[in-house]
Amino acid sequence: MFPAYKGIVVLIFALVFAAVLEAEGLRKQAQIQPAGFQRTLALDVTRPLVSFSRALHLTTPRHELQVAIGRGGEDRIDTQVHLTLPPPAGPLPRRKPRRHRHRVAAAKQVFTAAHPLRLWVAGDSLAQVPGDALERVGGAVDVVRIESRLSTGLARTDLYNWFTRIEQAPAQLHPNVAVFSFGADDAHDYMGGAHVGPFGSPSWIAEYTRRADGVTRELNADGIYVVWLGLPIPDGPGFKKSFPVMNRILEHVAAEHPKTSTYVDTWHLLDDFHGRYTAYLRVHGKLTLMRLPDGVHYTEAAGDLIAAQVLKQLSAVYTLR
Amino acid sequence: MLFPTVTFAVFFAIVLPVSWTLMRTPRAWRVFIIVASYVFYGWWDWHFVFLLAASTVVNHVLAVAIYRAGEVRTRKALLALAVAFDLGLLAYFKYTNFFLSSADNVFGTSWLTNVTLPVGVSFYTFMAISYVVDTYRGGLAPTSFGRFAVFQAFFPHLVAGPIVRASELLPQLETPRDPRRVDTSRAFFLIVSGLFLKVVIANHLSTHIVDNVFAAPDSHSSLEVLIAVYGYAVQIFADFCGYTNIAIGVALLLGFEFPQNFASPYTAVSLQDFWRRWHMTLSRWLRDYLYIPLGGNRKGRILTYRNLMLTMVLGGLWHGAAWTFVAWGTIHGIGLAIERAIGWRPVTRAQQWFGRVLTFHVVCFAWIFFRADTFSRAGQVIERLFTGWGQSSPLVTTSVVLAIVVGIVTQYIRPTAITSLLTGFQRLPVLAQAACVAVALVVINTLGPTGVAPFIYFRF
Repeated sequence: MFPAYKGIVVLIFALVFAAVLEAEGLRKQAQIQPAGFQRTLALDVTRPLVSFSRALHLTTPRHELQVAIGRGGEDRIDTQVHLTLPPPAGPLPRRKPRRHRHRVAAAKQVFTAAHPLRLWVAGDSLAQVPGDALERVGGAVDVVRIESRLSTGLARTDLYNWFTRIEQAPAQLHPNVAVFSFGADDAHDYMGGAHVGPFGSPSWIAEYTRRADGVTRELNADGIYVVWLGLPIPDGPGFKKSFPVMNRILEHVAAEHPKTSTYVDTWHLLDDFHGRYTAYLRVHGKLTLMRLPDGVHYTEAAGDLIAAQVLKQLSAVYTLR
Repeated sequence: MLFPTVTFAVFFAIVLPVSWTLMRTPRAWRVFIIVASYVFYGWWDWHFVFLLAASTVVNHVLAVAIYRAGEVRTRKALLALAVAFDLGLLAYFKYTNFFLSSADNVFGTSWLTNVTLPVGVSFYTFMAISYVVDTYRGGLAPTSFGRFAVFQAFFPHLVAGPIVRASELLPQLETPRDPRRVDTSRAFFLIVSGLFLKVVIANHLSTHIVDNVFAAPDSHSSLEVLIAVYGYAVQIFADFCGYTNIAIGVALLLGFEFPQNFASPYTAVSLQDFWRRWHMTLSRWLRDYLYIPLGGNRKGRILTYRNLMLTMVLGGLWHGAAWTFVAWGTIHGIGLAIERAIGWRPVTRAQQWFGRVLTFHVVCFAWIFFRADTFSRAGQVIERLFTGWGQSSPLVTTSVVLAIVVGIVTQYIRPTAITSLLTGFQRLPVLAQAACVAVALVVINTLGPTGVAPFIYFRF
């Protein structure tokens, strides 16, 4: 038994010591917060903390431990948008109007259980459940990896740099198809530290379109087909404004590459007869819960519905046996 | 507010010194701790602060009315009103959609509505019920409104327990805590061990094997499914025990003693023993406010089995509105009934080890239903345990196996070993103690996965 003040002293000093040892991690936490007073304050506090900690080499023990467990680069902040292909000159090329001529359909690639179609599912927290559902399909579909990183996207490279990951993944995973769910957490006024105008403004939309289009072209160049999952109709006003903006961009990007990418409209897949939000949908005559209480995330049943739609759209490109 | 976050660290670094400063003026302390607890609770969704406040007001008013009422009939009616209010609250927020969707699928109605579950409602409602029932039984005189508000909203236990009895916490609120005698060593040990269990063990198992396997069991080998089932048993223990350890440690630093909630549950030699060691504050709540009022084991064999089954099934439903939870409770109820029927009392060392292994596997089998979202998914997991041997098992890694082994082996550590560790810690100078805690915090944070996963028991 000790006097209470000793407990307070131990607690305060422990937190201060831990902050000094953890300075690099705290600095990253501060960097990746949404813009505002809290972020500014956190940056102001962690800046001298990092300098002090580095001067005394107190960041070393944590870094050594991170290296030992194979996570040496965790505190690094990489805001580069790695798109190696040059952007098309001028505005994005418009789709040519289809000519109504008799064409011989190109033979579709055939995939079987022995030679499955390799899917890489990636994105924010909304990627996990459809990824799991695609994994359950089995047979001619092989989900090589599901990478669902909470609160990340194509806007905030400082939080997690998907462009770096997208650059590495083809060589590591050899997917035939990349299924992406991005945008739910991208409604920020700045991207990876760069201000590109307020969310939804023409300059913001142009930059986000450049990024999504760049990702599509990079992957297409590696022979990978891209599936963009749209954002579902949300409950409450919070996301009702941002999700349609993101959906328009993703749909537009997919439409620009009709042979090598597709857009899956989850908004209308999960709304009710009146076009409104509903937590339940009738599946095989049975009312089934589709959405989690937050009004955004999917249940497994919704994941199955989305996976079925993804496969339906993929079957226009591939033969799955 | 989640315990393993910088936000909570800052919050507690402010609350702890202010709480001890105000301790000598109880009224000011109560106001401060209520405000702090409501801030802690409102951090998720401030709307539900009003629900907590309403529950406090209604239960206090009815408890006082029960205490003052002279006639037995009036007291009974008031008790029924209080319990109906509390269960009504639970029923509305927790079970509305469950019952309506079940009714819809049977009768073809369309009464569905979207109800959001407030965090911790099951915990603080059970505490309120125990308060009014104890008042009705005459074991408790209602306290002042301020003390009751602290009792119900005290932030260390507010969102996921332990379910503290009024008779345990209210006497501690009657007199200011002694600032000369605080068990700081045990408090820091509990906080650090709780963080280790949650951030390192539970989060690692969840993200590296359990979630993947339970999402698509057919895509994984039998070995992966088996390790995932063991992994979930360790994950849920580490997650929930981790939370309550932190809660008990935080309360200790504030000068309050909470009851123990876990006592090495996977060393249990029988299911009866398991329930004496797992979520102990819920077990005794169910025993005292459900099993015994139903008649307990005093009304013959058949009724004892009925009471056991009812208690376990309702205990299952308390965890969530799904038939899979009912199945989980039923498995435990059947197991307890069988143990009682055959008079299972392991005495010899061999019997005890047999009992430990068997109990652990029955508990793991029941966890399959607890974790799976549907019966068909639970069925797939069980089927896959037998049909996918010989396939590659990339999810069964050294770190996963190590996390499971650590999660189980630590339950066999003798209390004397922990006592000597605490004695050694106590002998250190204050700055050395702080350095030890700091190093532990940094190691835990570095070993844990990125981001903070919510605690499993938050949704109950």
